[in-house]
Amino acid sequence: MIEINNLVKRYGNLVALDHLNLNIHEGEIFGLLGPNGSGKTTAINCMLALLKYDKGTIRIMGEEMRPDNYKIKQQIGIVLQNVAVFDELTVYENIDYFCGLYIKDKTKRRHLVEEAIQFVGLEDYVRVRPKKLSGGLLRRLNIACGIAHKPKLIILDEPTVAVDPQSRNKILEGIQKLNRQGSTIIYTSHYMEEVEQICTRIAIIDHGRSIAVGTKEELKNMIKTGETITIEAIALEQKHLNDIQQLPHIFELSYHEQILTLRCTGAEHNLIRVLNYLQEQHIPFGRVFSELPTLNDVFLEITGKQLRD
Amino acid sequence: MLHLIKYNIIVKLKNFNVIFWPLFFPLILGTLFYFAFGQMEEADFETIPVAVVSQTDTDTVFIEFLKGIENSENELIHTQEMSEDDARNALENHKISGIFYAGQTPSLTVIKNGLEESILQSLLESYQNGKQTLMTIASIHPEGMEQAVLQMSDYSDLVQQVSLGGKTTDGNAQFFYALIAMACLYGAFIGFGAAITLQANLTPLAARRCVTPTHKLKLIVSEMLASFLLQFVSVLILLIYLRYVLHLDFEGQFSNMLLISLIGSMIGVSMGIFIGSLGRMSEGVKIGILLGISMVCSFLAGLMNNTMKNIVEQHVPIINRINPAALISDAFYCINVYDDTARYTRNLITLSIMCAALIIASFCLVRRERYDSL
Repeated sequence: MIEINNLVKRYGNLVALDHLNLNIHEGEIFGLLGPNGSGKTTAINCMLALLKYDKGTIRIMGEEMRPDNYKIKQQIGIVLQNVAVFDELTVYENIDYFCGLYIKDKTKRRHLVEEAIQFVGLEDYVRVRPKKLSGGLLRRLNIACGIAHKPKLIILDEPTVAVDPQSRNKILEGIQKLNRQGSTIIYTSHYMEEVEQICTRIAIIDHGRSIAVGTKEELKNMIKTGETITIEAIALEQKHLNDIQQLPHIFELSYHEQILTLRCTGAEHNLIRVLNYLQEQHIPFGRVFSELPTLNDVFLEITGKQLRD
Repeated sequence: MLHLIKYNIIVKLKNFNVIFWPLFFPLILGTLFYFAFGQMEEADFETIPVAVVSQTDTDTVFIEFLKGIENSENELIHTQEMSEDDARNALENHKISGIFYAGQTPSLTVIKNGLEESILQSLLESYQNGKQTLMTIASIHPEGMEQAVLQMSDYSDLVQQVSLGGKTTDGNAQFFYALIAMACLYGAFIGFGAAITLQANLTPLAARRCVTPTHKLKLIVSEMLASFLLQFVSVLILLIYLRYVLHLDFEGQFSNMLLISLIGSMIGVSMGIFIGSLGRMSEGVKIGILLGISMVCSFLAGLMNNTMKNIVEQHVPIINRINPAALISDAFYCINVYDDTARYTRNLITLSIMCAALIIASFCLVRRERYDSL
């Protein structure tokens, strides 16, 4: 569906995209995950032929993407990071306006607009102007304007920023529904939970480079961490720390402000072994957590920093 | 295209900031002017004293023409036959406003530019145009000469036709003409808004529009048409308000005033689109430039001082030739005060050329489809 090869984009001395390579297949929900400023939006703007780039190629549906490739543009729906609707138009008029930029036939357009309104759940607000909508409803309107014409490829650039949990769930469910209806989705976010929840494949981007690509399972298999154990309110001496470090499958230990964090490779009974040791040594402890690796762990292990740094 | 134009108009109509300056502000200012200066028709107009110097090959028809004007009920001019020396002395001592030399080719001498001098010049041009017309008729349709001469010698008709009635020559009229010119230029606010929503590097809305399969040219043209239409209607409302609500006495043909309004609206909108398309200055800076240019142009055209246009004409006449507000107000003067078709046409042509240049320049700036940064 989309092939990006060696894409380079510079803003003066700043390299925003550094030989970015991506291959997005038809029918998938492809997540672009990376911290703010990692180059996600720049990559999207290059794909849409809005930005000039210094090097590389972008092919969408087998054709080179250019500003005048209207055939390809007809197949794309875009939901930008910033809400882009007319404050002066009502919900219905906004969707009708943007749908009209793709669909000329009035009757067909009316059906599509009504479907889009239903899809995002704005039936009760058709005559309301955007300024009177809450942040979540406004985001839903933003999405409706981008998808009303039923595009084959939908690009959503951080569509859930500043959205309440209820609207966020509604949006995420909607994206999965669009995908089930046949659209290929590109979804950018710095919320790893969202990306994990809905994306079938994920590219982790940092400093304009794609540092890892795969399904969430594939990405997690790329790293050493199989389990992270956290034990709160625990008083340990150096001797205890040395003993725990020697337990099987533990490859990293940190102890800070009475919180013990252990990184273990993927194996069974890691937590039981640690708790048994503490009982044997009569060491009291508070709450205990055991977490499977997250995309943040993937990012942390590959780049040495937190995704939200 | 109609879909785009329809929504462009709705968007602009519902945006108070866009519509206030071109529509409501001139209506408010017009009302204030009306109460401050009164109606144009209440003004007095002084007859213009002018010397007539006969020459060896005196054009007697011209002398008759001037007498006809002098004897009309409007008493536009008062002629005095003088020798050339006496006439020059009188002119230098400001006892008369000009000297008509009634030779084979009549000519006019004045020592300054002003309303009275302009009227005298218009009289001379009217006569020369009529004479030229007769000569043309004589060479092409000699059978129609008699009727043409009769019409030419009917000065009362001529006087009525040129509207030199001493009503609209009120100095205060200049304020209203400059006001209409200002209203035309304030169309720049509508054009500015249009330009902003066409450049993907300025607003997310423009970016969204630029990634659709609608051709950029179509987006630009629809924005321009909607802006022109809206601005023209705004000026039309102002004209109707001035003429039919405030009962200001515009003597010229309404169709001619519509034409000026149309071209004036176009120049205002294109100016706004051009400024809106300039570089990456902030919106605030561009609005500042817009307001500055509109106000300076309107000021120089006589919006705040009815003698300003004449002062500019005397010291830097080129400004009056290129100041769109001055050209618009002058065009109104041409049709309402002295029926100077040539000057009216020249003003409209100048405005049209400026408008075309601004539109082409704006189009070149806005049509860009890929940006260095967003």
